[in-house]
Amino acid sequence: MATIEVQRQVLPILGNPNQGARFYNPELPSSEPFVPGHRTCAGCGPSIQYRMTSKAAGDNTILVGPTGCMYVANSSYLCTPYNVPWAHTQIGSAGSFTAGVAAAYEAMIRKGKWKGQFPNIICEAGDGSASDIGLASISGALYRNHDCLIICYDNEQYANTGIQASSRTPYGGMTTFSPPGPLVPEGKKLYPKDLARMMAAGHPHCYVATASVGYPIDLMNKVRKGLNHKGAAYLMVYTPCQKGFVYETPRSIDLGRLVVESGLYPMWEWNPEQRAYDYSFRPASMRPVSEYLKLQGRFGHLHAEHIANLQKFANEQWRMMGVQLPEALLEAADAKNLVNMAAAEEAATVAETV
Amino acid sequence: MSTKDTHIPDWLKVPFAGITPAPTQEKGQDLFPTGNWRSIRPVYRDKLPPCNNACGTNEKIQGYLDLVKRGKYLDAYALIKEDMPFPSVTGRVCYHPCETACNRGKYDEAISIRAVERFLGDLGQALKKDVVKAGKPNGKKVAVVGSGPAGHSAAYQLARLGYAVTILEKSPKAGGLNRGGIPDWVLPQDVLDREIERLVELGITVKTGVEVGKDVSWDDLKKDYDAVVLAVGLTEPNSVRAEGEDKKGVHYGLPFLRDIGMGTSKVKLGARVAVIGGGNTAIDCAREALRQGAVEVTMITVEGNTQEMPASPEDLHDMVEEGVELMHGRAVTAVLGNGSVEALQLHPARFSGAINASPINVDREAAAERFPVDHVIIAVGQHASLAWLPQEFKNERGTIKIDRFGRLGNTNFFAAGDIVQLGSGQPLMVVNAVGDGKRVAFNLDKVIRGESLEPRTIPIDVIFDLNRMNMTYFPHFPRVQQEMLPPTSRRKTQQEVIQAFTEEQAVEEAGRCFSCGTCNACDNCYLVCPEPCIARPERSNGMYKILVDYCKGCRVCIEECPTGCLEGVPELDFDTGVVRMDTAFAISPGLHGRQAEELRNLASRPAKNI
Repeated sequence: MATIEVQRQVLPILGNPNQGARFYNPELPSSEPFVPGHRTCAGCGPSIQYRMTSKAAGDNTILVGPTGCMYVANSSYLCTPYNVPWAHTQIGSAGSFTAGVAAAYEAMIRKGKWKGQFPNIICEAGDGSASDIGLASISGALYRNHDCLIICYDNEQYANTGIQASSRTPYGGMTTFSPPGPLVPEGKKLYPKDLARMMAAGHPHCYVATASVGYPIDLMNKVRKGLNHKGAAYLMVYTPCQKGFVYETPRSIDLGRLVVESGLYPMWEWNPEQRAYDYSFRPASMRPVSEYLKLQGRFGHLHAEHIANLQKFANEQWRMMGVQLPEALLEAADAKNLVNMAAAEEAATVAETV
Repeated sequence: MSTKDTHIPDWLKVPFAGITPAPTQEKGQDLFPTGNWRSIRPVYRDKLPPCNNACGTNEKIQGYLDLVKRGKYLDAYALIKEDMPFPSVTGRVCYHPCETACNRGKYDEAISIRAVERFLGDLGQALKKDVVKAGKPNGKKVAVVGSGPAGHSAAYQLARLGYAVTILEKSPKAGGLNRGGIPDWVLPQDVLDREIERLVELGITVKTGVEVGKDVSWDDLKKDYDAVVLAVGLTEPNSVRAEGEDKKGVHYGLPFLRDIGMGTSKVKLGARVAVIGGGNTAIDCAREALRQGAVEVTMITVEGNTQEMPASPEDLHDMVEEGVELMHGRAVTAVLGNGSVEALQLHPARFSGAINASPINVDREAAAERFPVDHVIIAVGQHASLAWLPQEFKNERGTIKIDRFGRLGNTNFFAAGDIVQLGSGQPLMVVNAVGDGKRVAFNLDKVIRGESLEPRTIPIDVIFDLNRMNMTYFPHFPRVQQEMLPPTSRRKTQQEVIQAFTEEQAVEEAGRCFSCGTCNACDNCYLVCPEPCIARPERSNGMYKILVDYCKGCRVCIEECPTGCLEGVPELDFDTGVVRMDTAFAISPGLHGRQAEELRNLASRPAKNI
């Protein structure tokens, strides 16, 4: 039987004439695979990410939604906000399901049972699925190099079950599983799992990148790069969660910028051809971590020494990016120069109610 | 909980696959109108940018900068022409209150608005046919007395409204203070000539050499025209009331400049020239004196320092750069010499009040200074010459008495420009006169059409506070500087000192605009909405629409709006477009009800079609 060659989509990379100053981009596609009428919280970060991702991917796309906010809140009452094919899978089987979809389309096209271009296959896994429960299956899909894009929308906790700590929850982040108290004043003692780096190191043939909702054009371009890459790609996107982070809803995009500017979420790409990290992304300014922390109730209980620990962590990330650290950031890593979070008392009441 | 034995109407039962309407790109999901979560609604409400507010004629500055940024120069020129008949002139001479008010000035450097205006004005001058058309003739005749900035502006606006306008100008050339008060190296004559041509192209008759009070009388005006705009300006120079002021070699500022402008000057300046006065005209006179052959020019002011001088700081700086000396805190008490000027007698002096128009206190006890000069130019303001005006319309300031709409009593006579603004607190600048002319033209039109004149009562919201915008979106950029001739070479020529922007410079400078409080279609709200419930059929200023059925009121769009055009309004303020609780258990046929309609008809459909 004659085999038909698989026709793949090539998505153009968006220009960024204003260096991120404004989002307006004449090359933006007009289609909206993600539509309103879903039940995510007001100001939902993962939802912003979902919309931008699907807009960048276009209409010939198949979405896979393992259990998580973007499954539970979006697909209720037998309807979904997706205008493209979408399927739910178990939280642990994100990678295997996605791999199956990709392999099935390749086979169907090869055998002439599906006419048309190979679709963009995107798996939208939460950090619970990607870093804890579904880690093995995602690693498997990446290892076998199926042509798909696996996105971890990283809201740093299990949000739809009521804010529990995941292995991506940052040091000091308060959740119902990591409440601050007299014995563990910082709430969470462990540092977050460096998931994206783990994926890049373990699957060097894959395109791996980190992104943030604070930089929409950059995020869309990374989605397109991942989809254009022939083989598996992995993208980790910072998506603030208003319920879990306890912030005012308007700050969603602001937090997406601040987390990068404070160095807690380094933005980089793994180039599979050169087998090298690309650390060229630089935010407009560098800030101490306290500017990021003070907006969020989940860090309200932190003492000066904990903030200093987080600053040390951020400084290590900056060094890893090859950035010369300004004196102010080195000073901010010393607890003597810091004060406790002012909102500690309010944070305690929030901890009880969550 | 079981629903067994509970009566639930058919149309309220849980929908099921096949019945649930599929979401569409245009509408989203019908089933969950999440708009009822909202307590604050984002609303696009354009505010007035501070530049538009500060401009004497309220040019839509933000609007034309935005158009220039996108390369739509002709549209930008048409927009500027709505309020300003001669952008090529104000683009050179304006004292730019807009740049002083510019919010960018608090951030890094103000936008060079005047330079962009000049770029547009020069573009308009190069056009074969102007974009502005005369209005449909309405058969009314209006005379405009004076062709200075106010008269020019009034005549222009009236012609656009369809009036047959005649300009009466006493000088041999039209242009008024634009020609006679502004030197060639600031405003070349051919630029002004071209703007006067534009007036003629609009169908305006320009009669030069006609002086009101001499060639035409008040009664002639009243008889021959339906309405008259008096924009005669201040023509008579003030004197310093010094002894011997009538000696040969004493000139007055405006006539000195006017004669040079009209080409009728016979003045040959000696090597040493003193200029009396500290205003803009005095500065122009001092700089002109250099170009007329003077070697040493000294400016003598009553003001104690440069800050107190009622002059544009930039012009002052340029003048000092060209080598004019300043002498502060002196008043001329006598002009010495035998027949012609040989020296000035100076005494220390200061203003008795806080403002520069207050009487001068001269300290005659102090020793008099002798200041040797060959010529003196006195530029200490002007006053009106109103002998022809009926007494009832004169006021105590020596100007024309008008009501707040620029009207003389109940007549069809209106007055505009310096002749009414002197002493009113308004700066006597070109752009203020243009604005005055524009407003008076519109008021005149109302009177002719029999409408009542009412002051504007709509409150305006001007953005002065940078916190109302999102400054993250504005990287710091330095202002694009206009090139200038070097001081050494320019002080002897009549060439323009300040050079025009190139196209690239104009676009770059326009791109720095914050667009304070006004939507400039940056797409931020559209892209950051989590729902997404901001619709945009096409990208255009202010064309964004919020689907209120879905907006949850998260206010991300308000926070991320760089211009501050979006604002949050409490939902209770609205009585339209409000989504009440009409989801799952609504009785009224709301959005859920529409779907229930299908459910209700289910029983009548054959099973295989379900």
